[in-house]
Amino acid sequence: MNRNQNSLFGVAALFDSPDDILNAAKKVQADGYKNYDVNTPYPIHGMDSAMGFKASKMGYVTLFFGFAAATFILAFMWWALAVSYPLVIGGKPFFALPAFVPITFEFTVLTGVLSTVFGMIAVVFNLPFNNHPIHDTNYMKSVSSDKYGLVIEAEDPLFEENKVVELLKSLGSKNIELVYNPEEEKFQIFQPRFLVFLAIIAVLTAGSTYITLNKFMYLPPFDFMLNQNKGVSQEESSFFYNKREMRTPVAGTVAREYIPYAYTGETDPKEVLSNPLLPTKKVLELGQKKFLTFCSPCHGNYADGKSRLMGQFPPGPTLHSQRIINFSDGQIYNVITNGFSIMPSYKRQITRDERWAIVNYIRVLQRAQNPKPSDFTEIKEINKESGKNVPN
Amino acid sequence: MPEVDDELNQKNNKENKDPNYWRSFKDLFRDTSLIESNQSEFAEGVKDDFEPSRLSGISRRKFLALVSASAALAGVGCSDYRSKGHIIPYNKMPEEIVVGNPNYYASTSTVCTHSCGILIKTREGRPIKVSGNPDHPVSKGKTCAKCEASILSLYDPERLQFPVKKNHNGEFKKYDWKPIDDEILDLLNKVGDKQIAFVSHSVISPTGKKVLDDFAKKYPNTKIYSYELFNEQNRNSAWKKCYGSDAAPLIKWNDAKIIVGLESDFLGTDGDKVETARLFAEGREVHNLEKFNRLYMVEGSLSVTGMNSDYRFRLRPDAQYEFVMCLLNEVSKSGVAIPIDAEILANYSLNNFAKKYSLSNKNLKLLVKDLVNNRGTSIVYAGRTLPEQVHIAVNLLNEALGNSKLYRDDSINVNVLPQSHYEEFEELVSQINSGNVGVLIHYDSNPVFHLPHDLGYTEALNKVPVIISFSGSQNDSSVLGNYTLPINHDFESWGDAKTRTGFYSMQQPVIDPIFDTRQKEAILLTWLKGKPVVYDDMIYHKYLMDNWQNNIYPSLNSKMSFKEFWVAALHDGVVIFDESPQSYGSFNKNVLTELQTKSKTLSDYLVVLRESYQAGDGRFLNNGWMLEFPHPISKITWDNYAAVSHTTAKELGIESNDKILVEVGNRKLEIPAFIQPGAADKTITIELGFGRKTIGVVGTDVGFDANALRSKSGGISHWIYKANKVSKGSGSHKLVSTMEHTMFAEALTEDAAKKRKIIQEGTVKEYRKNPHFINTENPEKMESLYNPHAYPGVKWGMAVDLNKCIGCGECVIACNVENNIPIVGKDQVAVSREMEWLRVDRYYSGTIDEPITSNQLMLCQQCDNAPCENVCPVAATTHSPDGLNQMIYNRCVGTRYCSNNCPYKVRRFNFFNYRDHFKNSYQQSHLFSLVNNPEVTVRSRGVMEKCTFCIQRIMDARSEAIKEHRPLKGSDVRTACQDACNTEAIKFGDMNDKESEFYKKYRTHELGYYVLEDVNTRPNVTYIAKLRNTESEEV
Amino acid sequence: MTKDYSVELALVEGNPPLRELDDVISAPIDSRPSHKYHIALAITGSLLLIGAICVGLTFYYGIGMWGNNIPVAWAFGITNFVFWVGIGHAGTLISAILYLLRQHWRTGIARFAEAMTIFAVICAGLFPIIHVGRPWLAGYLIPYPNQHSIWPNFISPLVWDVFAVSTYLTVSLVFWYVGLIPDFATLRDRATNKIKKTIYSVFSLGWRHSNRHWVHYEKVYMILAGLATPLVLSVHTVVSWDFAAAILPGWHSTIFPPYFVAGAIFSGFAMVSTVLIFVRKVFDMEHIITIDHLEKMNKIILLTGSMVGYSYIIEWFMGWYSGSPFELFVTLNRAFGPYAWGYWIMVSCNVFFPQLFWFKKIRRSIPITLIIVILVNVGMWFERFVIIASSLSRDFLPTSWHYFKPTLVDLGILFGSFGLFFTLILLFAKTLPVISITEIKGVIQGSQPSHGGEHES
Repeated sequence: MNRNQNSLFGVAALFDSPDDILNAAKKVQADGYKNYDVNTPYPIHGMDSAMGFKASKMGYVTLFFGFAAATFILAFMWWALAVSYPLVIGGKPFFALPAFVPITFEFTVLTGVLSTVFGMIAVVFNLPFNNHPIHDTNYMKSVSSDKYGLVIEAEDPLFEENKVVELLKSLGSKNIELVYNPEEEKFQIFQPRFLVFLAIIAVLTAGSTYITLNKFMYLPPFDFMLNQNKGVSQEESSFFYNKREMRTPVAGTVAREYIPYAYTGETDPKEVLSNPLLPTKKVLELGQKKFLTFCSPCHGNYADGKSRLMGQFPPGPTLHSQRIINFSDGQIYNVITNGFSIMPSYKRQITRDERWAIVNYIRVLQRAQNPKPSDFTEIKEINKESGKNVPN
Repeated sequence: MPEVDDELNQKNNKENKDPNYWRSFKDLFRDTSLIESNQSEFAEGVKDDFEPSRLSGISRRKFLALVSASAALAGVGCSDYRSKGHIIPYNKMPEEIVVGNPNYYASTSTVCTHSCGILIKTREGRPIKVSGNPDHPVSKGKTCAKCEASILSLYDPERLQFPVKKNHNGEFKKYDWKPIDDEILDLLNKVGDKQIAFVSHSVISPTGKKVLDDFAKKYPNTKIYSYELFNEQNRNSAWKKCYGSDAAPLIKWNDAKIIVGLESDFLGTDGDKVETARLFAEGREVHNLEKFNRLYMVEGSLSVTGMNSDYRFRLRPDAQYEFVMCLLNEVSKSGVAIPIDAEILANYSLNNFAKKYSLSNKNLKLLVKDLVNNRGTSIVYAGRTLPEQVHIAVNLLNEALGNSKLYRDDSINVNVLPQSHYEEFEELVSQINSGNVGVLIHYDSNPVFHLPHDLGYTEALNKVPVIISFSGSQNDSSVLGNYTLPINHDFESWGDAKTRTGFYSMQQPVIDPIFDTRQKEAILLTWLKGKPVVYDDMIYHKYLMDNWQNNIYPSLNSKMSFKEFWVAALHDGVVIFDESPQSYGSFNKNVLTELQTKSKTLSDYLVVLRESYQAGDGRFLNNGWMLEFPHPISKITWDNYAAVSHTTAKELGIESNDKILVEVGNRKLEIPAFIQPGAADKTITIELGFGRKTIGVVGTDVGFDANALRSKSGGISHWIYKANKVSKGSGSHKLVSTMEHTMFAEALTEDAAKKRKIIQEGTVKEYRKNPHFINTENPEKMESLYNPHAYPGVKWGMAVDLNKCIGCGECVIACNVENNIPIVGKDQVAVSREMEWLRVDRYYSGTIDEPITSNQLMLCQQCDNAPCENVCPVAATTHSPDGLNQMIYNRCVGTRYCSNNCPYKVRRFNFFNYRDHFKNSYQQSHLFSLVNNPEVTVRSRGVMEKCTFCIQRIMDARSEAIKEHRPLKGSDVRTACQDACNTEAIKFGDMNDKESEFYKKYRTHELGYYVLEDVNTRPNVTYIAKLRNTESEEV
Repeated sequence: MTKDYSVELALVEGNPPLRELDDVISAPIDSRPSHKYHIALAITGSLLLIGAICVGLTFYYGIGMWGNNIPVAWAFGITNFVFWVGIGHAGTLISAILYLLRQHWRTGIARFAEAMTIFAVICAGLFPIIHVGRPWLAGYLIPYPNQHSIWPNFISPLVWDVFAVSTYLTVSLVFWYVGLIPDFATLRDRATNKIKKTIYSVFSLGWRHSNRHWVHYEKVYMILAGLATPLVLSVHTVVSWDFAAAILPGWHSTIFPPYFVAGAIFSGFAMVSTVLIFVRKVFDMEHIITIDHLEKMNKIILLTGSMVGYSYIIEWFMGWYSGSPFELFVTLNRAFGPYAWGYWIMVSCNVFFPQLFWFKKIRRSIPITLIIVILVNVGMWFERFVIIASSLSRDFLPTSWHYFKPTLVDLGILFGSFGLFFTLILLFAKTLPVISITEIKGVIQGSQPSHGGEHES
């Protein structure tokens, strides 16, 4: 690039020995120049005092971030193990301080180092700065190898080109060079090449994420043991002919605690079972629950045959008929178990105890429909005790 | 107002053209540089720090753009729903099934002649676990390891799945039942006056026998030969000679004060172990020292019973006779009347005997003293492998000591069909050779493998025109036949069994035949129906019921209707009725003539054949769990071996694993030797049941077939032979075991267990004197840096009573079945990667000749201060509120640090996906996987695992309790090992329930100690120290 | 000793002009690789490939491909990890601690040592990942908010490791890079090739050798050194806690941290000399990496070797003094048990041979030095192996004892890690200045003002 069209950056002078550059620096500093810099291939002892620097303050950055990190990580570990998800581990207390020391230390060092270095390079030095005027100058090439250079910038208030040149000459520099600002090259943010690059990256990321999360993670052994090779309830089986992992028990076998119902299939057996359950509160509540679930759709909530399926479906008869009132518990149980005319068997949906509970509840409903006089007095008694009064 | 604007403009222009004001001389004299500089807004060099031009190629903006874009698209990436397959419910749900809840069926196992009553746990009609039937009078809720493992044979992918017929070039080809039935029926009808021979194991089913009888009715030339590899014939025949009745009586082990076992492993393989162990353990109850029995064991090689003996004498089995005679002599000296002429006895001096076989004279004296002092409450019991003569002498001894009081009178063994003797088989062979046998039926038996080879049975087979084998899978005998018909597994079969007086056991199937198999009785019945052959899968079920209704039920004169009776019988799995056992007469003096023979010094090598703890009689040789089940004594898996004493090994110049060549008569066998501490010199003990030629992938090349050494005429007995030569064989064969055998090798490791307080033992006397002789501070009182976490509510704990633990290892198999433990194979056991969560540690102390054996159940101790938890980086193992040390498989990354830090080394790591790794993913076949417990995770590779105290059972119990609105009690949960333990040595319960029996009797027992207390891990497993009932005070 | 080596004798023999230094140091970078170099690269590359294959097998089939078992659940994997972390320690030590101690002779070898640190830590860092049963879940060790809503167990020494090693790697890298920036600048300014120039400019961040920068730069360099010193000591301490924090007899011991750190420096220096001896020959830099360097390093090896020997003795003492039967057993078992062979290899290589360095002749003889330092490396590997395998194989319950035998995969991965290490070294030697141009310039004679500006501290 042709520099001469650009403004002057400064005057750069090269020196041969460390002593010369040290003197030069001292002189320039003494002359009161502010915007000047000394470039040497390696740090020169005594240069900082020559240039009148104070001791670097970088140490405080380290100190601050170090302490911040320590407090943070310690607090975090306490929160993680004692607050967020407290687990008893080896009988140790949730906040086991001694065990947290190593991590606290490591994290402190890490943060200290990173913050310091980043702070120095990016904030203090304002690097990267690849198009600084003195780059690519003969001056730069020399100072980064074996010469010692000093450049006084045009921005300096005391800057006067000829004067400065004179000064540097007098200091014994054999090689003086004028450095000009480079012309500013423009980036535009959206070059097509960049956009293409962006697109490719995006597609790759999306693709790989998709494969990992939806395909890869379900392959053994990565599948978190999702595919268990064991028989699971209601699972599809590739082995049995009817694709059913669940088998039906062999006909004629008797499971423990399960004597098959003696009168299976008989609508009106000669003798029937007797009710093993007493009408306790618990039983009746169970009975009510099951009655409302299974019976009420046809027989109605009060077993009076007025059901919500009335009309759409052959109506269930009322259970308050004399015939049914005269039924023994066992007979009602038998009807539930075996079904009756168009009523199907409910033995698969309702367990045995539940059936007996329903029987008991039906009894309650029947009694409620045509109560004995004694019941009223009883109810009065109860209400008196419980303190609420109902109209007779 | 335009003019104003104009004015302004003009004013400005004027100013520009003609500045009246100058700021400096330069300004005044129009210095060019100044004008120049005024062009630019800012002074030279003053630059904006945030010039975009100063940003490098990849600017922050660009970077952010890139990140956000890819993040957005990544989001798009995670939007998919994975199909998890269909849900297939029952369309007609069986009434007894609630999906997700188990059902239990009482049935009977026929894997051995004892036919234990079993309870089969099923989930949605699939059997997943076997345990004992609590209502069964013999098994009383317990069963043996083989029974537990037999469920694996049901789901064995290598079962024979359809009938096969051998074609002309000798390969078996698939057939359908129909044509085969027709063919065979023709053959049977064509057989004419030739014999139809059944070769069967001993028949224990009355109805099964009836089927055979019916068959014999239709085909009169039918003859049935039944055998067992090991049988009671010597004992029974001796008994018959002495007392006249058929079967030797059962023993009241629980009432015996002094037990003297002669080469009899009655706690292992000799007799019905399940019952014997239970009764024996009643005499090992620390809470009842008065009842404590004393066990003397006289045997050739260490057995489970020997491990539990208080005094043990190693004696070559062929000297047992002399030994008993010496005892008789000594006993008679001390004034017990022995009905033998004195001069015969005079030949037998215990002192000389002790010298000859270098036995401890002191202990022998003690034995005699005990016998004499405990007349009527002592029992001398000879092993079934010993010759008849010994049994006679023993009967005499017991008679003389009045020990017949200990013979049980409530029940006795019965044979539905007496077993055939080898003479009859010789007869059969000669019949065959003379061409008189038309059809030979292997009735679920394997005679080619089991019968002595010199019987010539195998060779004879080519002379039989038709050989039909009923078998679950091809075996050594069936491959030599023409037809092999697949039969049902136990769990697919109907049946009944009668092994004792006083009850029948019922057998019912728990799953329909998985393959196209039939029950062996059903096959015969189908044939009996004649042509046209139609099979009905209910056929035997009906037959069984009819037989019971018409024959058995009436004889029991029960109050119930048959329908009720039958349902009840199936429900209970057993029908108990009163039937008095055949009474036996008085001792018959004439047998004493049998005791005339003189004794001589025995110097030559002796071969002793024993039943295998692992493979049974060979039926379990394709069962991975049994083969990987560590041998109770040597802990060797996947092999059998010749156990020799170390002196004998020196004589032969061999080490363990070196092969030795054993020659008996003209029969040879090369088998690896193993130096067994406590083995008698010059005695070579080998277990049978290994080395089958025709078997599935699991059992291929497992062990060596020692049947080759047996002879039809037998040696000293059918299982004890004089070897005419034993020499170092060629090469060696690596025996793999789950324990190193270094205990005696180095001074460093001698008696380590006791020095390290892992095993703490005392004697009854010591304990009587000082109940707190175990000098151990209560760990609850031990100091800790932190104060312990509180466990309100239930806190689970276990106690193992080492007095009752006989080291049989049933618990190991039970745990395998319950917790989906994979089979890893010999190569992996060799590098110590076995997966069993439970192990029985066996420690020797004392000398290699007279070792004192201590067994210790070792499982996760569920430590309160679990070292494993501290080191897990991902918190995959932590403590639960009920004090369990949990393992979270899905969180585990497999650093194995926990195992390193576990002082008990009870953690197991999936180094491979073992279900895939073992025998090219044999265990991943769909059928095999049905054996897995649905309630337990099937672990993948790279995951650590360990005992969970059967957490799934705890959770079941808890949900039950919640359902019933009651607090969970410790007694609600029984772990799998606890269920299986024959002797109830394992106790489980709630340590916070101070009232519970568990807490009062076991957790806080003064003999209770923790393993490695001073590591202060605060285990929740208490060990009750073993008491040895010796005369001296120290062990 | 408080001598200032920069005055006592020339660090760079012959005291060449600065520009010549540039040439010498950047010669390997500018010149095309010789066929010797290609052969070397081929060897290390194939080792690396073997290792890669073995790791592949492990990932596919599982840890079962290794010899590990229960009880010996850790073996080669962790041994290699500790070994490599140890190797890493020399670099930071040389660049940081010697820097703080004003040992100017370090400049000749610092850059190289640092590079080795980084490569060694990379090798080490691989092992914790490949040794786990489910490597694809290794991320669980890092605290990140996850769907289990569970955090790592900060009590576990393995999590400490994760922090320690990653911190160590990062800090070493930063330290190294900060040192490299001025050199990149120098290379940039002497580069003729366009591509090279851009690359160097990018990495040099536009460094201008400005003394306004140097002042902060030197300060920060010292801060880094100051932070790296406790770090390097902490890292191997934490690593040693993997064992010391466990309850296993033979691991559970308070002497481990100093013992391990000494061992680490010991092995690290051995490795540095091993590599330097070749490098100075191959890239003929004998006058920059002088025999004096090697001698000084040998002295340090002698010192640390004796420290290691001392801790071996202490272990015996503790075995007896602890009064615990397990401790005593472990000590005896190491020396006379199944792993006695390993133990005696370790003792002879780590304690006996380094003692030869008492003799100046041997210290200054390059062939003998080479042999001894290689032996030291072997010995230090065995030290870790013995500690891990022998303690695990025979712990509390005799019933669970079992002997460990490595498989081919184990060995393959071990060699693979060496392959990786040396491959990286070779690449580094060919692409970056193996000696800090800036620093070396700063310390040669006449590089500083003759009347000497007062030393800033």
